[in-house]
Amino acid sequence: MPQNTNQEQPVHVTAIILGWILPGLGHISLGQKRRGTLIMVGILFLVLCGALVGGIDAVDHNKDGLWFIAQVWCGPVVIGIDLLNQTILAPLPITGKATYVGLSHVNEIGTLCIAMAGLMNFVVLLDLLQAKQGDDLVCTFTDRKGDAALGRGDKQ
Amino acid sequence: MIAWTPFLEPLNAMQSVWYLLLIPMAFGIAVVYRALREPSYNTYWRAVVIMTLQVVFGIAAIAIALGVFVQWVIPLLNQP
Repeated sequence: MPQNTNQEQPVHVTAIILGWILPGLGHISLGQKRRGTLIMVGILFLVLCGALVGGIDAVDHNKDGLWFIAQVWCGPVVIGIDLLNQTILAPLPITGKATYVGLSHVNEIGTLCIAMAGLMNFVVLLDLLQAKQGDDLVCTFTDRKGDAALGRGDKQ
Repeated sequence: MIAWTPFLEPLNAMQSVWYLLLIPMAFGIAVVYRALREPSYNTYWRAVVIMTLQVVFGIAAIAIALGVFVQWVIPLLNQP
């Protein structure tokens, strides 16, 4: 996919901001709908998996500050989970927290899942630096169906 | 498990089989990474499955190698 060209690529600042606000939206804004949708599905799947396994305690900027630096690359969705954690769980007394706070492996995997989602979205944002307008995943299945509907033959 | 509230409470029932959670994590990473690297959608899901298996078996192999090292190699080194 990446090709070396002598022409300078424009830096898609808007796409990078959109890609942080909602993972995959940056690629969709550049006309790469399939690529952007798959990125969105993948990253939101990781975030949901992490929150399902570790609970909302999997994101905590107070107690897991270093993990939060990796997680926050997912954008407002992670900040929202952290806000829920700080407003619902943090004020509870220790006895009340017992059922809501993840322990041991469950907490680790939940935190790790969301951190991996954040780091993958960081890679996606780096990819946006050199992404080309409309350079989407090629799908010859649908192209052939479209050609058949238009009465075109097979292309090489 | 019956009184479990999704997303609010952690999934403690998975505590004993936590290593199985590596599979959905590897799958999610593969979905995102192959979306960036794959030129064609026709081969996309095949590449996702292959990468998921590579990650899972790779980590399992590292775990086995470390286990062998800690359980057998280090005790051998400590023998007089």
